[in-house]
Amino acid sequence: MVDIHPKLLELLVCPLTKTTLRYDRESQELVSEAAGLAYPIQDGIPVMIPSEARSIDITNGEGRQNGR
Amino acid sequence: MTIYPLTKTSNLHQSAKPLENKSQSVFNRDHLQQKKHRASSEFDNFNFLHTFAATCLSEKLADITHLFPNSLYIGSPLPSEHLTPLMQNGRIDNLMVMDLIKPFKTLHSHPSLIADEEQLPFANQTLDLLLCNLNLHQTNDLPGTLIQARRALKPDGLFLGAMLGGETLWQLRASFNHAEQELYAGISPHVHPFADKQQMGALMQRAGFALPVVDSEFVTVTYDNIFKLMRDLRGMAETNIITTKKTTFSIADFFQKTGQYYSDHFCDKDGKIEATFEVIFLTGWGPSSSQQKPQRPGSAKTKLADALNTKEIGTGEKTPL
Repeated sequence: MVDIHPKLLELLVCPLTKTTLRYDRESQELVSEAAGLAYPIQDGIPVMIPSEARSIDITNGEGRQNGR
Repeated sequence: MTIYPLTKTSNLHQSAKPLENKSQSVFNRDHLQQKKHRASSEFDNFNFLHTFAATCLSEKLADITHLFPNSLYIGSPLPSEHLTPLMQNGRIDNLMVMDLIKPFKTLHSHPSLIADEEQLPFANQTLDLLLCNLNLHQTNDLPGTLIQARRALKPDGLFLGAMLGGETLWQLRASFNHAEQELYAGISPHVHPFADKQQMGALMQRAGFALPVVDSEFVTVTYDNIFKLMRDLRGMAETNIITTKKTTFSIADFFQKTGQYYSDHFCDKDGKIEATFEVIFLTGWGPSSSQQKPQRPGSAKTKLADALNTKEIGTGEKTPL
């Protein structure tokens, strides 16, 4: 597994809300609580496109699959 | 004449929000992503225009003596051979690379990300340098994209962009229009609308860049025929992504007529057809108090007439003959 570059972790924000992201190392996702989206990281490359992100249910803390 | 649609623009005081309704967008960005994907494997054979623009951007950058700890490069390909010297002497540190699709193999040494420049994933005042190589002309909300770019810059951060401008492919546009008019008695857009240099100057100011500069270069390429030109355009993912594009053509007829008109009117002396690309270069800075500013009108302490060693003529007076 290629780890995401620390510079990206430091600088990236949610493209929709411009709020900070939480790095979920296990699921390889950058989570935007404000937008309710989890942006995938593929081979260390984050995909910061909202339509390709997984929408998450913040209320119970569990993710569910987004039907795009 | 090309008119960039300015109706769907963000206001400086509103948040720069991208257009969400695709039916209102000029360009279909999903198609762009697909076309980039398709072009990516053989992009090296068709990247002459991107390489040209990247080289020009690097040259402009080489003239600037600032340090750029956090730098972002949007587009492909990365002009490594030009940027490497700057990175080696520590001027650029940690160049991040961003595109709509997964970066190509050559970029792996840099922190890379996939993102849309219309939804820039960087907070306000975080970047020292933002380079955009031939991507801005395919955005739906160009003013909003520029505003996001300016906001992402730190004070005294530098924005350097290259984009295709209004004169691009004017011969192809004329030929398409002529053929379509003849065959179908009407025209629809086949060549993208491109912003021209004057419009870009106004947009750079409107986006709030300090010390904006806009200039352009022309690249004329010759081809045996229109099909080779179209192959190059496909290879660099610059073919039509207009949302409302017409798709019901008897293609052979249409292209034959277009090609005929093109070679009749836009040939060089060797019988090859000419295609013009205009590359517009944008330079702007994040506003900072350390930058030079014009004095307030009326604040002058010395008369211009004294400096020029001449006699001052009042506004009501007649100019002596």
